[in-house]
Amino acid sequence: MYTSEPTHRFHRSLLSLALCAAFVPALAQTAAEEGVVTVGIGALGGSSADRQLFGQYNGLRPDRKIVGSVGIEYGLRDEENANWIQVLGTDLLGDTRELSAVWKNPGNWKLSADYGELVRYDSNTVNTGLTGAGSTTPQVVNVAAGLGSDLELKTKRTRLGLGFSKVISPALQFDMSLKQENKEGARLFGIGMNCPSVIAPGCLGTTLVNTGWAALMLPEPIHSSHVQMEARMAYAAPQLRFSLGYYGSFYRNSNSTLSATIAGSLNNSLTGAASPLSAGFQSLLSQPVALPPDNQAQQVDLSGSYDFTPSTRATLKLAYTAATQHQDFAAAGLAGAPAGVTNLGAQVNTTLVKVGLTSRPLPKLTLLADVRYEDKQDETPIARYNVEGTDVYTNRLLPNRKAKGKLQATWQFSSDYRGRVVADYETIDRGVFTASSAISGVSALRQTTSESGGTAELRRMMSQDFSGAVSVSSSQRRGSNWLKDNSGLGVTEVSNPADPITGFASSAVFMPTLANRQRDKAKIFVDWVPSEALTLQFSAETGSDSYSAPSNYGIRSSRMGQFSVDAGYALSDKWGLTAFASQGTQRLNQARAAAYVLAYDNSSTMIGLGFTGKPMGTLEVGGSLSYIDDRSVYAQKLDASADAYSAALLAASGGLPDIVFRQTALKLFGKYTLDKRSAVRMDLMHQRSSFNDWAWGYNGVPYVYSDGSTVSQKPTQSVSVIGVTYIHQLP
Amino acid sequence: MQIKRLLLVAGLSLIGLLGQQAWAANPTGAALCVTCHDEEDLPDMSKSAHGFSADKRVPDCITCHGESPTHAKKPSGVSERPHPDRLFIRQFALPANERSAVCLTCHNKDPKRALWAGSQHDNADLACNSCHKIHGNRDKVLAKATQTQVCFTCHKEQRAQINKPSHHPIPEGKMTCSDCHNVHGSAGPKLAKRDSTNDTCYTCHAEKRGPFVHQHEPVAEDCANCHNAHGSTVAGMLKARAPLLCQQCHTPHVAGGIGAVGGQSGVSSSSASGKNVVNLWQGRSCLNCHTQIHGSNNPSATNPTPQLLSR
Repeated sequence: MYTSEPTHRFHRSLLSLALCAAFVPALAQTAAEEGVVTVGIGALGGSSADRQLFGQYNGLRPDRKIVGSVGIEYGLRDEENANWIQVLGTDLLGDTRELSAVWKNPGNWKLSADYGELVRYDSNTVNTGLTGAGSTTPQVVNVAAGLGSDLELKTKRTRLGLGFSKVISPALQFDMSLKQENKEGARLFGIGMNCPSVIAPGCLGTTLVNTGWAALMLPEPIHSSHVQMEARMAYAAPQLRFSLGYYGSFYRNSNSTLSATIAGSLNNSLTGAASPLSAGFQSLLSQPVALPPDNQAQQVDLSGSYDFTPSTRATLKLAYTAATQHQDFAAAGLAGAPAGVTNLGAQVNTTLVKVGLTSRPLPKLTLLADVRYEDKQDETPIARYNVEGTDVYTNRLLPNRKAKGKLQATWQFSSDYRGRVVADYETIDRGVFTASSAISGVSALRQTTSESGGTAELRRMMSQDFSGAVSVSSSQRRGSNWLKDNSGLGVTEVSNPADPITGFASSAVFMPTLANRQRDKAKIFVDWVPSEALTLQFSAETGSDSYSAPSNYGIRSSRMGQFSVDAGYALSDKWGLTAFASQGTQRLNQARAAAYVLAYDNSSTMIGLGFTGKPMGTLEVGGSLSYIDDRSVYAQKLDASADAYSAALLAASGGLPDIVFRQTALKLFGKYTLDKRSAVRMDLMHQRSSFNDWAWGYNGVPYVYSDGSTVSQKPTQSVSVIGVTYIHQLP
Repeated sequence: MQIKRLLLVAGLSLIGLLGQQAWAANPTGAALCVTCHDEEDLPDMSKSAHGFSADKRVPDCITCHGESPTHAKKPSGVSERPHPDRLFIRQFALPANERSAVCLTCHNKDPKRALWAGSQHDNADLACNSCHKIHGNRDKVLAKATQTQVCFTCHKEQRAQINKPSHHPIPEGKMTCSDCHNVHGSAGPKLAKRDSTNDTCYTCHAEKRGPFVHQHEPVAEDCANCHNAHGSTVAGMLKARAPLLCQQCHTPHVAGGIGAVGGQSGVSSSSASGKNVVNLWQGRSCLNCHTQIHGSNNPSATNPTPQLLSR
């Protein structure tokens, strides 16, 4: 695995001490000091493979049986000297430790610092012969499937933040913050190529036995830092409030390319045995893969509000953002740039204006108007980066202008009921297509789309024992004429998409972000308190999108539904119960030419039960049981134009298998108070998960990369945790 | 009663004035309130920001609940003591905007609340105390470990989504709703913390910002075109599994369009072409070859160029 040190590594022990030293000065003996220290030990059952889902983020993925934990919560309030210190530390012995401290003189100034670590483990295990995995120069070693070494991919974020606030006067306040986050590790990545292809006609070479394609698992090496800084001066008067702010984001990546050394032979896709690569193909696979470049964005903004009258208020935000990226290609190890071009010189400038006005002209009438305009100007230079055979094209600019408006009226029918109607409109102009650039991989584009809609809502006010709301909304999106690829150079507007000569092929796909769309939604929410002991909540939502485009392919419609019931019941002053059940559904209907019409259905049910109790004065207990059942069904049927191969494959395979995820989690705790200052808490947890995702294998047959690498996840995982924590209050 | 009052006056520390007036022969203002509302009536809030007496901005009972003269001194001839001018409980039907207005008297100075008026939560009749607990030392919504419990009171769909196998570290308590959302109003969609979904995502995923030599338009436009940030059963929090997701925009270029996976009858992973059904539906699917799905900054103008996001 990747072991090199990051550019700016935080030394956590020193850092923790520094934080404490900085924020715990000696204060007057009269200060109210209190704190809680927790020290715990836990035992875990289940192997590392059993924790692939459970241990993604909690630091418990490694195959350790015993873990320790230390936490601290400390507060020092010295009201006489106007000092207040708060320190909070969690999981200080683990991989996800966090420590924060705040020192403030409330109403005057505040200093804060926080440090945190977060490890993410990939929920799969890789088996590979790759050496140098996670570095920028891995070596592909061909092995038989499953006979490589296991590799756990993970990334670790380490964060340090500092903040300062100063109340300069009752009307003026200054805030600033600085945060740096380092990220290192490796994540699932790879390359693949098919030979020959339009873009690589020479890769097949002259070798008699060629591996005509390859898919290789190459982890992306991650070693980067991200610095963010903010500063804001705010002014507040009785009627006028505004602030001027700056935000800067600076991303730096220590890795610029991933360049793999490719074995001279890979598993031939036809024979399953190692076969030599052609020199041309081997060379192409060895080309550097660009990793994310350094980039930065800076923004200045003015935002605020103004009260014309007590019932009429305006809000405003103006912002200007400049995002740039000028990584030097040669220095990054990326050759082959167009002559005279040393970097992309990317510059995207965004102007945002948002203005809102709310008013109550009559006691029963409230009006709202809101306008948002965003203009993203892409000022990146054009150069001839794209080559396809002998055709040469340029990069493409992505300007974007969005305007969105909303008008809303709310009428108070009675003290309990109010109704609301909303009309909204949005238009997006994607600018004029660059005449020298190519459309890669899409059938059609559209310069502008506009969507108009309305919402009606009836709400019973949040009062007394019963409240709720019901709303329905509908919107329609339309757009300008479709744009078609103009033989590789720019686009041509198509006035009649069905025209056999100037229109589109019948197999064309019109993307859902641009296609005409009818969207409908309905929601209901009820909050009921039938008695002092019982509370009930009920919510349901349904929505559908229906697309219309010049062809029948791509996504045609989608539908969603969500239903949930929550209940809380107080058995007594000492015992309480909670329960909830929710079900969500999602359906996509889409089609592809010469093959299938596919309906994708996902249904997800979640049930939860919980209790809390205090059987005696010194004992608190609680627990929860949750169950999730998530099923994805892929129902395919043949398109009228499907070929014989598709028909035979569907008949033989029976279609794509369902994917089912189930998880049951039981959590119990008991806290026994030993004396006024100390307590013992015991936690028990058992989680069982099953997931038959076939992305990496099905029915015992793994997906095998060309070098024999495989990726797997244990289908059924069980993990148990028992923990005992001693809690001591300070002083 | 005297001991309780002593504890309450010292503990609540509402204002310095309290200490002087609570023991006066005729207490007035907030000092009058605590003559009846002792610690059995109200939770301790002495350790909250509102309990820090050295901060001259902190409110007292009157600031939020009003002078309430008829509540403080029951008029003669009235059987039940009238309510205070303003109460923030369900049984007292004070409209949400009026409840919020009380808090905003002081808290509208915070620039993070500049766009509250007309925001989604304002429109949904949420008041500050719909989410915040004022009378107490611990406000669930201000603590990372417990904030989601408050948000999920209404956002049920998201409660289910974060428990799916591919999720942000929200159930683990390492992230919370306010890391991405400014619930007090924003210029972005869905109360995104920054001005757009993408700008919000870039605060943690700045490597996706580019701009790149070879852009992928929906990536630059909106991360939510492909991702559901609240969770999914598809790796990478994708809204749908590739190649389905990709084929919503792109014309497929793999022969034989029926979906099938290795291990099923009639499916062989041995194929003369890499563009086979196994490579299309398994592994990383389309990303097996189009690996630079967020964009590539590879400038090579030598065949094959990375324009199809392959390297």
